[in-house]
Amino acid sequence: MNTTSCSSACASFQATRFSRRHLLKVGGLGLLGLTMPALLQAEAKKQGPRARAKSVIFLYQFGGPSHIDMFDMKPDAPEAIRGPYKPIGSNADGIQVSEKMPRTAKVMDKVTLIRSMHHTMKNHNSASYYALTGHEPPSDDQRLRDSLELFPAYGSMVDRLAPIGGEMPTFVAYPHVIADGSITPGQHASFLGKAHDPLFIAQDPNSPNFSLPELSLPANLSMDRLAGRRELQKLIDAQSHLLDHSAAAKGLDDYYSRALAMLNSSRLRNAFNLDAEPAKVRESYGRTTYGQGCLLARRLVEAGAKVVTVYFSENIGGQSTESGGWDTHGFNNTRMFPIIEKYHLPITEQTLPTLLNDLEERGLLDTTLVLWMGEFGRTPRINGNVSRDHWPDCYTALLAGGGVKRGFVYGESDKTGSYPAKDLVRPDDLAATLYYLLGINPHTEIYNSVNRPVMISDGKPVMGIMA
Amino acid sequence: MTRVRRFPLWLLAIGLLLNRNSAPGAAISFRNEVEAVISKAGCNAGTCHGNKYGKGGFKLSLRGQDAELDLLALTRDSMARRCNPFEPEQSLVLLKASTQVPHEGGLRFKKNSEEYEVLRRWIAEGTGDDSPGTPTPVKIEVMPEEEVLIEPADRAQIKVWATFSDGTKREVTRRAVYEPANNLVKVTHDGLAQREQTGETTVLVRFLQLQAPVRLAFVPARPEFIWREVAEANYIDHHIFAKLRTLRINSSELCGDTVFLRRVFLDLLGLLPTEREAQTFASDRHRDKRARMIEQLLERPEFADFWALKWADLLRNEEKALDRKGTQVFQHWIRKSIAENKPLDQFVREILAARGSTYQNPAANFYRAIREPAQRAESAAQVFLGVRLQCAQCHNHPFDRWSQDDYYDWATVFSRVGYKVLENKRSDGLDSHEFKGEQIVFLAHNGELTNVRTGKPATPRFLGSAGNRSEDRLNALAAWVTAPENSLFARAQVNRVWFNLMGRGLVDPIDDFRPTNPASHPVLLEILAKDFVGHKFDTRYLIRLILNSRAYQLSAEPTATNAGDEINYSHAIPRRLSAEQLLDSQHEVLGVAAKFTGYPAGMRASQLSGGTPVRRSEMKASSPEMFLSLFGKPARLLTCECERSGGTTMGQAFQLISGPGIQELLATSDNCIGQLLASRKSNRERITELYWRALSRAPSEVEATAALTYLQNAKELRPAFEDLTWSLLNAKEFVLRY
Repeated sequence: MNTTSCSSACASFQATRFSRRHLLKVGGLGLLGLTMPALLQAEAKKQGPRARAKSVIFLYQFGGPSHIDMFDMKPDAPEAIRGPYKPIGSNADGIQVSEKMPRTAKVMDKVTLIRSMHHTMKNHNSASYYALTGHEPPSDDQRLRDSLELFPAYGSMVDRLAPIGGEMPTFVAYPHVIADGSITPGQHASFLGKAHDPLFIAQDPNSPNFSLPELSLPANLSMDRLAGRRELQKLIDAQSHLLDHSAAAKGLDDYYSRALAMLNSSRLRNAFNLDAEPAKVRESYGRTTYGQGCLLARRLVEAGAKVVTVYFSENIGGQSTESGGWDTHGFNNTRMFPIIEKYHLPITEQTLPTLLNDLEERGLLDTTLVLWMGEFGRTPRINGNVSRDHWPDCYTALLAGGGVKRGFVYGESDKTGSYPAKDLVRPDDLAATLYYLLGINPHTEIYNSVNRPVMISDGKPVMGIMA
Repeated sequence: MTRVRRFPLWLLAIGLLLNRNSAPGAAISFRNEVEAVISKAGCNAGTCHGNKYGKGGFKLSLRGQDAELDLLALTRDSMARRCNPFEPEQSLVLLKASTQVPHEGGLRFKKNSEEYEVLRRWIAEGTGDDSPGTPTPVKIEVMPEEEVLIEPADRAQIKVWATFSDGTKREVTRRAVYEPANNLVKVTHDGLAQREQTGETTVLVRFLQLQAPVRLAFVPARPEFIWREVAEANYIDHHIFAKLRTLRINSSELCGDTVFLRRVFLDLLGLLPTEREAQTFASDRHRDKRARMIEQLLERPEFADFWALKWADLLRNEEKALDRKGTQVFQHWIRKSIAENKPLDQFVREILAARGSTYQNPAANFYRAIREPAQRAESAAQVFLGVRLQCAQCHNHPFDRWSQDDYYDWATVFSRVGYKVLENKRSDGLDSHEFKGEQIVFLAHNGELTNVRTGKPATPRFLGSAGNRSEDRLNALAAWVTAPENSLFARAQVNRVWFNLMGRGLVDPIDDFRPTNPASHPVLLEILAKDFVGHKFDTRYLIRLILNSRAYQLSAEPTATNAGDEINYSHAIPRRLSAEQLLDSQHEVLGVAAKFTGYPAGMRASQLSGGTPVRRSEMKASSPEMFLSLFGKPARLLTCECERSGGTTMGQAFQLISGPGIQELLATSDNCIGQLLASRKSNRERITELYWRALSRAPSEVEATAALTYLQNAKELRPAFEDLTWSLLNAKEFVLRY
């Protein structure tokens, strides 16, 4: 399966004679199984492009939001295509959005829309894997199995190539492990190793007792008691001398120190303390799991986290006005438009503009890339259930901040929103763009589970959107 | 060139006509000369124009595997701008490579360098292909193949000779590509290998499609080094210590009894010795007590549990494809095979030839789990032969001898495995990977895979062997794989057992055998494999041999010379307990049984039949399943040892420090802490007992005093004992196998 990308092999050759900008080997395991993370990270930075973004907030819209009803309106198309919503102007010249999104219309001067996203995966898990990693899945499999042969999440890749160190985690993800029948691949470190998995929080940030479980000690375990335990542990460790010579022992002990530092860290604890926000701010993001998740994302970025992934929903949803994702087929006698009007659009309306404005006001938007997108768009032609089905052939991604243009549209769909008419962008290219903006060479080589050299992205950065 | 002048011109002309391979003045051979130069310059590397998409609109075959394609790319593509026979110097390929015009790939060779000249002359001569009958390279030889360089020696000149199909032989040192396996060495254009750091390394030498490894060891001078003779227990030691002596490394001491006992318990049973077992062993004064302990443990039922787990991982024994009943019968069959010491060749034959109901014939579950022929072929090669074929699916393997044809011919051996699904009560109708119910594995009468290179049906052929005309492909396959003369099989299996006991394969990674990934001790591997075959694939014989060696029993404490050695077995290298070892050991110490969802009470983690439950989101944070997943129990979706993660993570540290699982374990009222407190023992006795339970030894005076003080200062006794137990379960001595 991973045999489709037999792309790179000259890495070690580079080491002998030539040094080249684009070709560097960031080894997981070399032929002798040696790892040299620190050295290679330095090299990745040295040879990478200039970093325009310090952080990324990835707002993943599972299920697939409809491009035609939100950011790529087709008022001149037949009724069966254009849908019930009218376009309205925004505060950016020439950019129209849906009339259901008047607040969002007022932040369009901060965003780039890519209206020519395209791929061919028609199932949620395969398409989401593509969206979450930038690598085309081996097959368009509805239940694509999550295995170490598949590529890691963007955040894990960043944690591998450009970690931040210290008590703040590089990659944080929450509040769901997304799944459609089976767990959607692309949410963790895969072949990079568990050390690069995200700090994952399976808690609802909107819940009154939200806290990071790792940072919350059981009731009867105080920090003092923990310190006492650690002292006893050190005493025993001193007897065995393992710490004097064993790399495994030292590595393990470093993790204990780091974990205890995190338990003691006010910075990290503060980042998770949503109660520290004024009630007004909490309200402005919306008192929803997603709204408070976006607020948390802002706090984490402020505290230094590098990649924060917020999953809009746990599942593809689409049949409820109370929960779930964007997969509005109209199944079981439900109807798309009333559902998104009552649930998905209002939440988006409340949260997305608030996040962008808040980042802007705090001076964080220029260094924080916000990426909003799902795994695909929805069929231009409205189906028999007055709803829309899956449409990967053309959809819209929204980007803001972090070195991308403001009030800008890149690419164009045809007159029915069915196919890109200009400047087609594949998820591979979007991934390359993300790495590029973070100052990571998108063609950096890493080794997969069978030690085959592969590039972190096969795409090309979309230079046309760079500010 | 100077010789040419001595030749009359007419002779030169004849030379050109004859197009002799590389004779001075002869026409340049595209396949032998130009392709070598392109490889040498790195143009056809995977990150450059050898990429599947090419680079900058120019695509070459990866590492020059396809000379025809390369010839077309150079002479026809891009409106033939790349080569200009009328003005050779103006050829784009020369201008780019020598950066006379901007080249994203930078300078590949200078103008008028020998590489430049070869290309220029070939272009000037009209960019032709080789004439029919041009000799092709058939073999390369390298000198040295292996060399130990002791300081001040810090360099070795590598020389390379190529033999051609007409029997001629010439030196190609300046044409060969040198690829060091790590940054211990740098190799110049002309093959001079120079030390960067001391240590062992391999340089891959490649000329056209031929490859050979050069193994180099850069040894520090250590003028004060004195070799310390050691008593060799068996022939393993002979090979291990001979190499250490050459490398001027003294091995560590023999490990102490406590360390030995924990080591063999963990390696053979996945468990810790009980308090009583540890004390009995400590007080045993017999000289042969280690050997006797090894014998005893090999007969224990837990040995079969723990070693069945290893095979169950590799054979993909997991619920989704096999269903719960399937995983149980498969686990039972694997475990029984190990318990009765079924010869390994027979075990593998039964798997590869398996047919019938997967409930009635559990071995057939291997095929049930792997639904695609190509995956079956890759998995069988990896698990049973130690060969990673994956690369060869879309191009010839860049580091191995396997061609794309080899791949498809092997894969089609597995093409006729079919399934008769008697019932499928899958819970998710959309999930094509899920099977719940009985299936019959059968061998169909027709059907071949298509070789994507030729577009034609592949011809069934075992890896590296002649065609297979047998009626029953699976029986023939099973016989071929496990034949005593199939050295791939015996070596791969010996290496796997060695890895499980010694922590590192003689070939590493253990399933990546190829000439370009040589073993650390090639002769030892060879002898072990022969011995294993000679002993009728008796796994216990092999384990016994390794465990009784001095090499296995060395301490982890380094000597003055061996701290930096990680590949020569000069000392034990501590590693984290596996997920199952750790969870079972924790529960063993506290005398509490873990509760696994869907399994009867009292099961240990290493007895579970299936893999990690798929739905991690449904696992409770305090569940033992979550613990196992966090500590690297594989999901069993790959037939690769690499799927089991032994790495350390932040999440693991949190789990061990304050995780709900460990809290629950410590707080369970009737655990061993509760029992100790209910007993009439003194605190000192209680502390001593806890130490024996967790660390198989008595506390030192310092430890006992500190623990007593801790108890005295505590307001309540029970929490203080919990703290003490926590510190034992979190001690490096506990978490690491060393």
